Amino acid sequence: MRELTFTAAAHEGLAEEMASDPTIFVVGEGIGRRGGNFNTTTGLYDLYGPERLRDTPICERGFVGLCVGAAMTGTRPVVDFMFIDFILDAMGELINQAAKMQYMSSGRLKMPLVLRGCIGVGGASATHHSGSYASIFVHLPGFRVVIPTTPYDAKGLLKTSIRSDDPVLFLEHKSLLNTKGPVPEGEYTVPFGQASVCRQGTDVTVVAIALMVKKTLEVCEQLVQEGISVEVIDPRTVAPLDIDTIIESVHKTGRLLIVDETFAPCAIGAEVAAQVMDRAFDDLDAPVRRLNGVQTPVPYSAPLEAAVVPQPPAIAQAIRDVVAE
Amino acid sequence: MAIAIVMPRLGWTMEQGRLVEWLKKDGDAVQAGDVLLTVESDKTINEVESFDSGILRIPPDSPPPDTVMPVGTLLAYIVQPGEVAPFEQPDARQESAISVTATADTQVAAGMPRESASGPTVSTRRRGPRISPRARRVAAELGVDWNAVNGSGRTGRIIERDVRAAARLTATASPAPVLAAGEARPVTPIRRIIAQRMAESAQTAAAVTLTTEADATELVVLRDKIKASLTSRERSVPTYTDLMVKLTAVALVEHPMLNATWRGDEIVVHAQVHIGVAVDTDAGLLVPVIRDAAARSLQQIAAESTGLAEKARTRALKLDETQGGTFTITNLGMYGIDAFTPLINLPQCAILGVGRIVSKPAVHGGQVVPRAMMTLSLTFDHRVVDGGPAARFLSTVREYVEQPYLWLTR
Repeated sequence: MRELTFTAAAHEGLAEEMASDPTIFVVGEGIGRRGGNFNTTTGLYDLYGPERLRDTPICERGFVGLCVGAAMTGTRPVVDFMFIDFILDAMGELINQAAKMQYMSSGRLKMPLVLRGCIGVGGASATHHSGSYASIFVHLPGFRVVIPTTPYDAKGLLKTSIRSDDPVLFLEHKSLLNTKGPVPEGEYTVPFGQASVCRQGTDVTVVAIALMVKKTLEVCEQLVQEGISVEVIDPRTVAPLDIDTIIESVHKTGRLLIVDETFAPCAIGAEVAAQVMDRAFDDLDAPVRRLNGVQTPVPYSAPLEAAVVPQPPAIAQAIRDVVAE
Repeated sequence: MAIAIVMPRLGWTMEQGRLVEWLKKDGDAVQAGDVLLTVESDKTINEVESFDSGILRIPPDSPPPDTVMPVGTLLAYIVQPGEVAPFEQPDARQESAISVTATADTQVAAGMPRESASGPTVSTRRRGPRISPRARRVAAELGVDWNAVNGSGRTGRIIERDVRAAARLTATASPAPVLAAGEARPVTPIRRIIAQRMAESAQTAAAVTLTTEADATELVVLRDKIKASLTSRERSVPTYTDLMVKLTAVALVEHPMLNATWRGDEIVVHAQVHIGVAVDTDAGLLVPVIRDAAARSLQQIAAESTGLAEKARTRALKLDETQGGTFTITNLGMYGIDAFTPLINLPQCAILGVGRIVSKPAVHGGQVVPRAMMTLSLTFDHRVVDGGPAARFLSTVREYVEQPYLWLTR
């Protein structure tokens, strides 16, 4: 099978959807002629022009409000935030309008809105360009939150996101953009709410988020040498969350670690832990553990930046610790 | 106020227990921590301590020793000096507080209140053994009394593997207790565990039995010479079972797939050889484990097996002395049995049945001469290993029986 980068696969998904549905348009800073800061729209301006590849001034609240209104009229806007940190300037429109409009209209209005942007710590991007914020949106009713980690999932989940009638956060970790992986030629989509068991194991379940999936997989072979068989689960979408797959795995292993580079309090790891204890308490042979990034603004300095997020040695040690409990 | 002593609940699954004997008499002064009585639950005999000090008073209608009774059955009271026992005063029984009793091994009886409601003495003992939710669930499923289990978790917590190891306490077939015609007898806890484990083995393992006849003449010679050379009474003469433990362990090192454990999704091949030896006792079959048998001398094995067998017969085995076996040997030779089909002691892969050594005509050096022959029966789990490796293993065992000096080179 051919191999594409994460960016190319997602781009292909967007291009295919735009070709088949003229109501889809992209809004953002530098996504027109420039093709997007992260090459999310390269070449599409030449095909569809400024009507469907709309560059904007730096006014997130304004253009998000515009897209919320457009979505209510039946179009399918894709807001490209470049860095997802900039979504914070549009929170009022999103939380009070986009997420509530279907409810307030008794379902008469739809909100087919995609909100995409890069997440994550990496590349000395400094603290205004290193956030993730997924758990904020998981907390609120009305949003879908999608975090693909492979090129295959990036394309399949972006297509599902564009076709969804709900507002969808599509979050792309910047350190995954250049990773390559198999992507089939033909049409496919990846459904929401289906976790991927990336690696099967018997001793401990690791639920990893975003880049942590890749970093966790890197240490699994070493741990096999030590006699620890790790099962790695990538939820792929955290809202909806496929808790059934996680519980099935915990039923087998009895041990659970959640690895997420974002801050621990009230985040996805806390939610997974709570749901597992609710539904699988009698399967647990050890306390559920979390490994998170340090709760701090992200430093610009590359060595300090590396120090505030889990690195493979820390992940391996956290797995050993859970197994030793 | 009088403190009641009741049949304690020694594990989540314990519904009833057998009063074995009183270690204090009616009227004895007891201190908190003194052992009052022993109780049998599942396969273990537990010492039950008093948490309170005072005078032990056993009512005349208290159940006599050897009675099986439900948990919570009133056995006795602890009263203060000068206090009249409740059974000697009318209508006072219900006023007594329920006491906490504990096993000497495990400190508290799980599921019981830890302090007497109004007693003058308050327990200062540590909390009971901690256990993971999963281990507790598995213990309930397997009928294991986890109060007697040692936890191997980081903080001493009992985890699933500890419970599963405890459940492997028992092994193969056991002679049925002698029942008079028409007599029905309640199933003892030890019998129930044996029944569960035998049924599980019979139903889940893909058991295949191979038999072969070995010429044990040289083994007999070897043992006779060892016996003649051991003048000191302090040293144990290795039994044939000990010899079989040693040579089988050496053979298992060469055939590690027979020293494996079935775990559903994976097969664990053990680095060390821990051999369980089936011991017939009055209460039922017990399987103490001789650890790292391949690395230990015959003399060490002989000394240890003597001690373990004695402990099995007096029911003094500790749980960890019956855990962790990777292979089992069962010797029915002393009963005149030749070949049989032993049941695998799950989750182990195989069990070796040793038959009697009997003088038979055999072809040796081209002549028909009397030789000491022995039949070996190997039952293995075909899920774990195929017939070829199992047959090669059995062939190695036979070779070592026939030429025992070969182990010296291994």
